[in-house]
Amino acid sequence: MEVPGVRSVTIGRVLSATLLAVVLTVLAAGCGSDSSDELNGITRVPPAKTENVALPDESPESKGKTVALKGEDGGLMLVYFGYTSCPDVCPTSMADLRLALADLDPEQRERVQVSMVTVDPKRDSGKVLNGYLGHFFNQGEYHSLRTEQPGKLARAEKAFGASHELGKPDAEGEYDVSHTAQIYAVDDRGVVQVEWPFQTDPELISQDLKNLLENNSNPDA
Amino acid sequence: MKKLALLLTLVLSMGVVLAACGSDDSDSGSSSSVEVTDVWTRATTPTQDTGAVYMTINSADGDTLTDASVPTSVAGKTEIHETTTDGEATAAEDSMESGNMESDSSMEGNSEEMHGSGDMHGDSGAMMGMKQIDQLDIPAGETVTLEPGGFHIMLLELKGQINDGDTIPVTLTFEKAGEVQVEAVAKDE
Ligand SMILES: [Cu+2]
Repeated sequence: MEVPGVRSVTIGRVLSATLLAVVLTVLAAGCGSDSSDELNGITRVPPAKTENVALPDESPESKGKTVALKGEDGGLMLVYFGYTSCPDVCPTSMADLRLALADLDPEQRERVQVSMVTVDPKRDSGKVLNGYLGHFFNQGEYHSLRTEQPGKLARAEKAFGASHELGKPDAEGEYDVSHTAQIYAVDDRGVVQVEWPFQTDPELISQDLKNLLENNSNPDA
Repeated sequence: MKKLALLLTLVLSMGVVLAACGSDDSDSGSSSSVEVTDVWTRATTPTQDTGAVYMTINSADGDTLTDASVPTSVAGKTEIHETTTDGEATAAEDSMESGNMESDSSMEGNSEEMHGSGDMHGDSGAMMGMKQIDQLDIPAGETVTLEPGGFHIMLLELKGQINDGDTIPVTLTFEKAGEVQVEAVAKDE
C-alpha cells in the first residue's frame, strides 16, 4: 500500500510513526477488511517469497536433511536468523515466541514450526542449536537450520530481507555478531505473511498466528 | 502465577541493597547511595556459553557503574554491555521512505519498545548487536534499567547451565558507592 504524503514528514520519529500508523489505520478502514489489515506485525508489499529456499536441518528428526523454509500444508513456519552465543536479543526473541505459542490451542500449535537459522555456523554446531532450541520448544516443533556455505546462507537471508555481520576476531578468536532480529511467519506457499520486530508483545504475535491459522484452515480463504 | 509472585518477592527482598547510606554529608562525593533492585538473569539453555544479568539501578546523588563481576565458577568473564540497533538515528526517515509498511497500527503507544519496527530500512530490518561499554552513568535521582534490548551485564565463558531459580552473586563496582553485592535470580522467561 503506497502512502503518498507521508514521505516528506520530518517531525520526530515517535510522532511520525504514530502518524503513519494512524494514516494506515484510516486507509485500511477505507478498503474493506482484508484479513491482512488486522495483523499486528509488519506486512510488506509485495510480500517476500521464500518458496525456493531450503537449508539443512540438524534437528534430531531431520539429521541434516534439507528442509524448505515454508509452512507445512495449512501451517506456518516461523523463521528467525540468529546465533546461540547471543545472550540478550536471541533468547528474548525465543522466549517471547515460546509465550506466543503457548497461547495457541493444541490443534493450531501443531501447525506451527519454528526454525532458527544460525548466522554463526562456526560456533553453532547442530548439537549446540538443538540444545538451544530444545530448551524453548518441543521436539518435532523446531528446525535447527545450518549451512557452512556462506553463499547459501546469504541467499536465504536475501529472500527474507534479513542480514548479519561477523566482526573481526579478537586475540582470543572471539568475534561480535550483529543480525536482524525479526521473526518471519511463512505460509505453506512460501509467502512471508507477516514479520514481527524484536520485542513485539507475545500477545500480539499469538493474535497474528491465530488470525493466519484460522484463515489458512479455510481452503477458500 | 503463585511462583511468579514468590519470585518477585524474592527478587525484591534480596535485590534491595543500600550501599554507603550516609545521609548527613550528601554534598561530599565520598558518600552516595545506590539502590539496586530486580536483579535477574535469564536461565540459559544447556548449550549456551553466554548469559545476561538485568537490574534496576537508582542513585539519589548520581553515580557510575564501572565494573561488574560474578564468581569465576559461574563465568570466566563479566562485562557491561549495551545492545545496539544500527541505523537508529536515521530510522524515521528510512521507514518513511520505504513506504512499504502496510500494517503498523500495533506499534502506536508502544513506540519506545518497538525500536526495531521503526528501523526498517529498505528491504531489511534493523541490525542488532551489542558492544562492551566501560561504564554506565546513573544520573542523580534517575533510575537506569538494565533490560532486554538495552543494557546488560554480560556473562561470558559460562561454566555451566543457569537454571530457573538459581541465584548468582554479582559484585557491582560504583565510582562513589564502591562495591555493592547483589543476587541475580534466574528466570526462564
Ligand atoms: Cu552482551
